[in-house]
Amino acid sequence: MKYILMMNTMKAGHGVPGWPKKDLQAHIAFMMGLNKELHERGELVSAEGLAFPDQAKLVRAGKDGRPITDGVFPESKEFLAGFWIVEVDSPERAYDIAARISAAPGPGSVPLNMPIELRAVMSAPPQEMV
Amino acid sequence: MKYILLMSGTRTGVEGYHAWSKQDLEAHMAALKRIHKDLTASGEFIAEQGLAEPGEAKAVRGEKNGVPVTDGIFPESKEFLLGYWIVEVANAERAYAIAGRISAAPGPGSKPINMPIEVRQFATYESKSQ
Repeated sequence: MKYILMMNTMKAGHGVPGWPKKDLQAHIAFMMGLNKELHERGELVSAEGLAFPDQAKLVRAGKDGRPITDGVFPESKEFLAGFWIVEVDSPERAYDIAARISAAPGPGSVPLNMPIELRAVMSAPPQEMV
Repeated sequence: MKYILLMSGTRTGVEGYHAWSKQDLEAHMAALKRIHKDLTASGEFIAEQGLAEPGEAKAVRGEKNGVPVTDGIFPESKEFLLGYWIVEVANAERAYAIAGRISAAPGPGSKPINMPIEVRQFATYESKSQ
């Protein structure tokens, strides 16, 4: 079963660029170590980080079908900061991986315990829809 | 340049899909299939994925006694990811154009939904160092 583990952040809460270099390095080393381990276990499908929220755009089709872009979002909006897709044997294993990501070290090596949203990925659309 | 196009909705909004007629659902899926085909033909397609319904979502935050702390309760206003497309395109405008096409996929009565699609670039060394 495939799951996506999403690390979300508010725009204002995106304080990572302000961390001391040492803390940033420890955080990145933790993530790289985790990704390596998941890859070796054959569980890692993909892992990606997204560019900062100030570059996000919301696109809607206009009446003529042309894209209308908007870069203004409510302050409360959660932005996706990065995600992992894993293929695991059970939801519990996905929860374990999410908990490890959640506990990644932040400033002063303190675990961030950030919330990780976990969602099952659909394997295929229902047969009658294909 | 790689972009992820995110289709999100609130839980109430997602439950609205259940009321669509079979014909409308089929027309919607057919439009998404055409987009998939076109993106594959142009070499821009990397991945697309639908997610299971928000009722299955969990938030995981750290561990307690080695057990992940899971929670399935989210605010009504929370936007859940419903599905995404990952594309590799020549410029941001092309990513917006694809998002516009997805946005205009038909809904009930074949009317374009014009749903908002969030467009986010993948982090690169340049965007991370800004």
